[in-house]
Amino acid sequence: MSKQLQALEVNRRGALKVGIGALASLAVGETILLHPGEAAAQPARPPRRPNVRGTPKVPHNYKRARKITSVCLNCSTVCGIVGYVDNGKLIKIGGNPEDPNNGKMLCAKGQAGVVISTYPERLLYPLKRVGRRGQGTWRRITWEEAYADIAKRVRACIDAGHPEHVAIHIGRSRLADIMGRFLNAIGSPVLLNHRALCSLNKRAANYATIGDVDWESVDAERCKYLLNFGSNFYEAHQGAIHFLKRVIKGRYDNGCKLVTFDVRLSNTAGRSDEWHAPFPGTEGAVALALANTIVADGNFDRDFMTTWTNTTVDALSAFLKPYTPEWAEKLSGISAGDIRRIARAFIRERPRCAAFTNRGSHAHYNGFNNDRAVILLNALAGSINQPGGYCYAESAEIPDHLFPMPAPVPAAPKIRTDLEDPPEWPLANRWQKMRVGQIVYAYLKQKRARLQVYFTYTLASPTTWPEGRSLAVEVLRDEKLIPFHVCSDVVYSETAHYADLILPDATYLERWGLDARNNYELRTYATLRQPLVPPPAECVNFADVLIQVGKRLGPEVSRYFDFRNYEDFVRLRCRQLPKGDSADGFAYMKRHGVYHNTSEPRSYDLFKRPLTKAQLDGSRTDPQTGIISKRNARGVEEAIGITMNAQALRGFKTPSRKFEVHSQTVAQAAARVKIDDDGWPHYVPIPAHQNLPEDRFILTTFKWNVHTQGRTAPQKYLTEIVHDNPMWINAATARRLGIRTGDTVEVTTYRPRGRTFDPTGQRIGSARIRAFVTEGIHPRVFAVSNSLGHLFGGRSAAARRGPRAEGPGFDPKILSEDADLTTNLWWSQADGGKGAGFNVNAILPIQPAPITGMQAWFDTVCSIRKV
Amino acid sequence: MPRYAMALDLERCTGCHACSVACKVENQVPLGNFRTKVYYYDEGRFPQTRRLFLPVVCMQCADAPCLRACPNKAISRGNDLIVRIDQNACRGNGACEDACPYGAIYVDPQRNLADKCDFCSHRLEAGMEPACVETCPGGTIIFGDLNDPKSPISQFQATHRRELTVLKPEEKADPQVQYRGLTRELERKVPKGRNHDPRSYEIETWATLEASFDRPEGGSHE
Repeated sequence: MSKQLQALEVNRRGALKVGIGALASLAVGETILLHPGEAAAQPARPPRRPNVRGTPKVPHNYKRARKITSVCLNCSTVCGIVGYVDNGKLIKIGGNPEDPNNGKMLCAKGQAGVVISTYPERLLYPLKRVGRRGQGTWRRITWEEAYADIAKRVRACIDAGHPEHVAIHIGRSRLADIMGRFLNAIGSPVLLNHRALCSLNKRAANYATIGDVDWESVDAERCKYLLNFGSNFYEAHQGAIHFLKRVIKGRYDNGCKLVTFDVRLSNTAGRSDEWHAPFPGTEGAVALALANTIVADGNFDRDFMTTWTNTTVDALSAFLKPYTPEWAEKLSGISAGDIRRIARAFIRERPRCAAFTNRGSHAHYNGFNNDRAVILLNALAGSINQPGGYCYAESAEIPDHLFPMPAPVPAAPKIRTDLEDPPEWPLANRWQKMRVGQIVYAYLKQKRARLQVYFTYTLASPTTWPEGRSLAVEVLRDEKLIPFHVCSDVVYSETAHYADLILPDATYLERWGLDARNNYELRTYATLRQPLVPPPAECVNFADVLIQVGKRLGPEVSRYFDFRNYEDFVRLRCRQLPKGDSADGFAYMKRHGVYHNTSEPRSYDLFKRPLTKAQLDGSRTDPQTGIISKRNARGVEEAIGITMNAQALRGFKTPSRKFEVHSQTVAQAAARVKIDDDGWPHYVPIPAHQNLPEDRFILTTFKWNVHTQGRTAPQKYLTEIVHDNPMWINAATARRLGIRTGDTVEVTTYRPRGRTFDPTGQRIGSARIRAFVTEGIHPRVFAVSNSLGHLFGGRSAAARRGPRAEGPGFDPKILSEDADLTTNLWWSQADGGKGAGFNVNAILPIQPAPITGMQAWFDTVCSIRKV
Repeated sequence: MPRYAMALDLERCTGCHACSVACKVENQVPLGNFRTKVYYYDEGRFPQTRRLFLPVVCMQCADAPCLRACPNKAISRGNDLIVRIDQNACRGNGACEDACPYGAIYVDPQRNLADKCDFCSHRLEAGMEPACVETCPGGTIIFGDLNDPKSPISQFQATHRRELTVLKPEEKADPQVQYRGLTRELERKVPKGRNHDPRSYEIETWATLEASFDRPEGGSHE
């Protein structure tokens, strides 16, 4: 125990308890100090004990165990699961065979999640801050006190006429229905998220081009050629397992080729038929050069291009003319010969071919156009919604018509704030409210927006935000900028450390919720998350917290929360669902875990579907464009289809009802922020990368197959596999710099340039990290994974072996101690292990891409020095 | 009596570790020990680099070195072809761990019992597949009853018989688990004896073919 901790304990005359371990035994009114602990030095491994009778283990009893369906939430992929519960204990998780996406298959994260319910370092009781914020002293309180305190502060904002001073900031919550309801009911639009740190540009590119959905479902099983621009779906893509299992079938049962562009040898790149490492952010240049070759050759789907896109072949040809393979070679380093060869191999398989993206392509300054250029390749191949092509179902979300919100439904507020709708990035909220989450703390600091009550949920901003350990923590710590911070979390996290109230959350294995994502079977579907086990002690699902607070905010708010709890709310949402083989829709969902309408045809040719008589009733057709429009339920006229060869068809959900190569929406949005953009998916050079000196490199980040960004490190079986993240350096570069694996290097990062936040090119900071020399990375790129470098989160995350904490122990009646953490954990540095890794986000700048706001994660310029 | 067998079709492996983690949860395997482990190797020079994976389980050897090494006769091979450790006869001696050419056995530090893959025998009894087989996203792990010509393993063997090989045939243990698409050098990643060293971090071994913590036979824990 440190002197500081001892002093505090003495000062409080024994009334102060110390450490995570003390939480469980904390009585109401007692105070606790939480602080990152020190490594406990113990021998590395117990010696053998030959000829001693052992303690047999009892294998899981599947004949006795009860099976309960639910949905994983150990990443955002939304896999159906089956939990096996024996004697009240969750013993195992498997895939739900009825789930159309993953079936019986789960990844390592899905398998490992079983331990989070009984993690000995879980938060078990509501805690209220005592002393300075961030000091780590806490008093256990009752839920009634917590609800009353929150309700009083929220009510004060409503009464002051500033409901927008209440914000909810979420990570991967999957509780949008109840959070939206809560904020709408009180009149605040400030639901903040992390989409701009995740997938904004990819979604925006799909919306701008196709319009119907933000996420494609490539029909990989029937595909013959996959062109992958920066997706690591073997490890981390949203929907990874769903896509991966189909790609494996496509490749090895159907002869599909996989070509991957990625600066780093991910598992996907390392197992592709071809791996090409372009210079970071030149993916769009390569895609345009592929398109250039295809159009110059004249072998493409002329019919689709002429009929279904909003441009002509001549105009497209003129647009592509400067983007030759030779031009792209100079920027990307991919040879013109390879570009031509790949273009021809790809288009030869049309329409059974698809080009798709993820962060490697879109998390750049120019990522929005990179992705639009890639999607264009599918139009040239005529593979849009064709078997084996670039497909999408009607929706990639929970279908509202099947799961309607319980009445009365509060209307969305009309006010806006710079925090949730920053005017600098006009496309961030254009199609869905994707926000620009990475500027939230900067804008609070600049007082461009004010907050009184800040709820955080599944949010790890101090570790997962760019400049998290500096700016995010500085603002979170400041009681003037954030007067009241309520954090709901499962473990004592870095976010919780800077809260005023900590609410012990129910894990995804202990709570209700509806969930869905893109269905690769191309039909309507949704899933139900239900508790496999009850939450321990006083843990409560955050959705129920909002309902309880809503009930305490007076009649004009509480009328929207006229149900017992969130389970009731979810039951009400299922009331119109067909009951199938069960008593009602809710019972059906509880039994099967998933609603999947297998009688519905797959959504191939969705855009060619004729509009029905009912749809056409009361519509009008524009004689010039053929666009069919109609007043919607709110009385606003909106496009519903397009007349094509005298037939009224659905078309694409874009303004032109066609596949938009050129986008007026983009041109207009750019003009609003005085950016010159003609609406074509041009290649945009990244300002900070121009004339890059020889001694400057690009620092990129990545995810492991066993971790999400910030919330899996407490799970011991995952962290056992990956707990340290040395910096990847290309072997030739390392030779030149005299660096070998295991050497410590100092990396210094610089701010971006151009139309982004704080574009000064100035130094941000330096950090020391160990090197990992590899043949699997571009010579001008260094890579450090995210997900690691935790200070809190318990022994697994923080790499500490030993007793639960430096405190008075814990209550084994609630969560018993785990010999793995006391004795077997082997990555503690005190034992000679590698430790908990390194938080790279701390030295990455906030850099929202122009117009859209997506964080340009993979653009950071850096320099390096061997220490 | 079924005759169980397994094959691993390596081209379908994505190195995802789902098998390894599913196994740990299923069989309550303590940290620092593995019944199922996935090795990585990066082959070739940039930009012609590719990544190879090698998932390793107990090979259920017909002439098992572990069985021969056990002084307590705690290890036996059943008529179902599964090699099992009798928890009541084991005395934590560790000779089996040292003898295994595949690093497939560990001694549980709390229970003081040797433990290894037994194809999730308790799941087989409940009519289920082994945990790794069920969860594998690529369909890499093929399993079933050799007596049943329709079982996945029988069909796989019938289709790919000539492409199948075993790990370290020179050990003459007659391993029953087979591989398709094995790059021979990868065998060197698989340590003899203990399969885990707390001072070796797997990621840092991707560029090498050596098992960085090979222990001599009969060696003891530090």
